[in-house]
Amino acid sequence: MIEELIAALWETLYMVFASTLFSGIIGSVLAILMIVTGPSGLKPNKAVYAVLDVTVNLLRSFPFIILLIAIIPLTRLIAGTSIGSTASIVPLTIAAAPFVARIMEGSLLEVDKGVVEAARSFGASTTQIIFGVMIKEALPALVLDWAVAAINLLGYSAMAGVVGGGGLGDLAIKYGYNRFQTDVMVYSVAVLIIIVQIIQYAGNAVYNKIK
Amino acid sequence: MMIEISGLGKYYGTQKVLSDISLNVEKGDVFGIVGHSGAGKSTLLRCMNGLENYQEGSVVVKGKEVGGLNDGDMKLLRRDMGMIFQNFNLMNRKNVFDNIIFPLQIWNVPKAEAIRRTEELLDLVGLTEKKFNKVRDLSGGQKQRVGIARALALNPEILLCDEATSALDPKTTISILELLMDINKKLNVTIIAVTHQMEVVKMICNKVVILDKGKIVASGATEELFLSPGPQLRRLVADDYAVIPSGTSIRVIFPHNITNKSIITRMARELDVDVSIIGGRIEKYRDSYMGFLIINVSSADKGRIERWLVEHDIHWEELNND
Repeated sequence: MIEELIAALWETLYMVFASTLFSGIIGSVLAILMIVTGPSGLKPNKAVYAVLDVTVNLLRSFPFIILLIAIIPLTRLIAGTSIGSTASIVPLTIAAAPFVARIMEGSLLEVDKGVVEAARSFGASTTQIIFGVMIKEALPALVLDWAVAAINLLGYSAMAGVVGGGGLGDLAIKYGYNRFQTDVMVYSVAVLIIIVQIIQYAGNAVYNKIK
Repeated sequence: MMIEISGLGKYYGTQKVLSDISLNVEKGDVFGIVGHSGAGKSTLLRCMNGLENYQEGSVVVKGKEVGGLNDGDMKLLRRDMGMIFQNFNLMNRKNVFDNIIFPLQIWNVPKAEAIRRTEELLDLVGLTEKKFNKVRDLSGGQKQRVGIARALALNPEILLCDEATSALDPKTTISILELLMDINKKLNVTIIAVTHQMEVVKMICNKVVILDKGKIVASGATEELFLSPGPQLRRLVADDYAVIPSGTSIRVIFPHNITNKSIITRMARELDVDVSIIGGRIEKYRDSYMGFLIINVSSADKGRIERWLVEHDIHWEELNND
């Protein structure tokens, strides 16, 4: 059982790490676009913002389990297969990216407008303001956002078993719940609890260091 | 001419926030824009460096129409116009040094030169010892000094001050104003100061416009404006001397050159009248002193006293009991 637990742990870590990374990248791009084109942005653009806004809301409305199945053709296209840990990274990323975008948008909106205005007053370009001012000022909050996203993805990854993704959640469901092996369920959940604690603790530690 | 504004009008949606603003700022001026909050002062200031657009009239800074600049020229203009703010608007996660050097980095100034310039500015604003402190650990006055250093980093010819001392206590305000005067004189930087504090105008401005509901209601040299304050200015200065109900109260205003010429006692002797002194103040105006006295005289003597004041070319005004 220990081997199965360790194998599941690695699968979980692999899925969570990869999907956090990819959704972090996609979410950051979306968040920056929303911040720039938003109503109080540096280059307001109603049409672009409306499209992004609706897309993000739309993707966030899908229950993950349905999204997981609905995008199987896309998953196959990107990952080459629709089953396994690697394949599950695609739906995990697509489910988490709009969420990451939304919470990052919130953190970036919190950046003091006056600081942005000061940067404009000495001639900083839009790009310089986004990367040199807004992201720099919001970085501590963004770190916490990513910790929240990673923990969310840990929860989503439990459902990856549907497409053969494996992982701790899958182990807990298959052995613990379906086969009544309570000990496996308890151990899996205990490990998940520890992982959540570590992610949150690490996020807080980084936040305190850089704030 | 540094800045020439004529017929400027600005709307937010359908609401007109500035109308028919015309003013000229010359090189070396410390130009005050005064008014109550909501009068449009800060908006007017932001029209000068393009942070706000405008729909009517023209704003010409150093020979260029601000409204017609493309992105690149706008940046070049802003490099020549530093700006400081009421809330300092510093980057709180950075230390003093990194805040000041930031504009130089934005403009890709070579590293060695940027560091040299930053050290120079730290020395100018007296914060060399605090250079590695995080700005959030500084006092308000120190934060504004960082703001000033940052605004001067690119050697601008013009410094825009948006309520720069409004968040500071009186003592700190004076030290910041002294620093601004220094900058104006030694570095020959033209200063535009938006404020609702009359002390700021008195201490540093040589010219001033008073703004009310988006319109200029008075303008001129500071001393002239204070010698014969119209109703607009009086509303702003509103001093707290109660007017005694009996007799007539007169405010006698002394320009700098007669502050020391015992006017009241001379008048009392020559006219053989009695005068009660209710209050008064002497204030420093930039480099000179100006003062006023409020006297109360019996209504019977009023006519003679006012005639005497006119003959002696002394500014005065009768205070009403309202």
